[in-house]
Amino acid sequence: MKYLILNGNPNDENHHFDDFLVNFSEELNKRGNNSKIVTLRSRKIASCTGCFKCWIKTPGECVIADDAREIAREYINADMVILSSPLILGYFSALMKKTLDRSIPVIHPHLEEVDGEVHHRKRYDSYPSAGIILEKEADTDEEDIDIAKDLFERMCLNMRTDLKFIAYTDQSLEEVLNAADIS
Amino acid sequence: MQLIFLNASPRGKNSNTDIMMGHFLKGFLENEENSLETFYLVKYRKNLEELAREVLKSEALIIGFPLYADSVPGSLKEFLEVFARFKEEETKPAVGYFSQCGFPETHHLRFVERYLEKMTGKLNCTYLGSIMKGGGEGQHIQPAPFMEKTFYLLHKSGKDFGTTGTLNFDILQKLARPETLSHDQIKGIIPYVNEKLWDKWLEENGALDKSFDAPYK
Repeated sequence: MKYLILNGNPNDENHHFDDFLVNFSEELNKRGNNSKIVTLRSRKIASCTGCFKCWIKTPGECVIADDAREIAREYINADMVILSSPLILGYFSALMKKTLDRSIPVIHPHLEEVDGEVHHRKRYDSYPSAGIILEKEADTDEEDIDIAKDLFERMCLNMRTDLKFIAYTDQSLEEVLNAADIS
Repeated sequence: MQLIFLNASPRGKNSNTDIMMGHFLKGFLENEENSLETFYLVKYRKNLEELAREVLKSEALIIGFPLYADSVPGSLKEFLEVFARFKEEETKPAVGYFSQCGFPETHHLRFVERYLEKMTGKLNCTYLGSIMKGGGEGQHIQPAPFMEKTFYLLHKSGKDFGTTGTLNFDILQKLARPETLSHDQIKGIIPYVNEKLWDKWLEENGALDKSFDAPYK
């Protein structure tokens, strides 16, 4: 399996988070997978401007020529994408969210009915599945975890991606690998 | 009441968020004792701290944004992370939100709404509530009476807010309609939007034949 791990940790000094991902990635590779970490804070990623050109002018590709384009390409070609970020104010870092906002070219502007709701149509035949790895904040409670889970499930539904697991860095590596169903 | 409207749409002044909130703010200003200042997040991308200091002084703050990947746009999250540095300040505004999405059902916004309430507590601010409305995109292809009703209710909500200082739940609930759609309603809406909105825009850009391009595979 081809894994793309997006590291949305904005903080150079948060070694614990980065180390957790490195260990996770190494463990995947040991088990015969092909895993790669992209550290978003060292990439050039502009904010989406809402121009919709990725849908109506150059379908499938953002018109901003920076690293988010290459990440969108790697995203769609992975078997599983791991979205990882410390929780900040109970949600992904702005760094991770900016990157995800730039990934909408992989879906189509047309609408279709999914589970009784209006969603976007697929552009590609297949999409990677997704996993999420988060670090708790000092004040993270059960309600925060529940709210974040909802937001991530909704996002994956709209990105036509099957969300396989949400894990936290206070779990052991073994627990996270089990949650991800990686034997 | 003194209000700051922070328009956090990545499209700035040229946004559905601006059009819709314009009606709310007009209603708000009908009370002559009220004052309003509007800021555009896109103009402060490099000066988020300056923007945070500006809005900190206000009695009330409403942040308007389009739903991006089921949450706040990354650029707004960036601002909120800077704003959170000021959470120990003594004077902070009470914060409310306006959000709209392209999907016709307001239901899509209920998840971020729950997030906004909890997150506002993390900023140590009082939560004013959230004005949520689906169908924010493609306003020009929607039946005129439908948009008129939306604008009327936004105006009414703003006027009420300008008098009472709170967001009236009944008005917000009416505004939010349709909260969900039936299968038959969805079947009616989808082909219309795909053809009149998206295919029209694709055609105007000479890209209709490339609509389903899949450049990365």
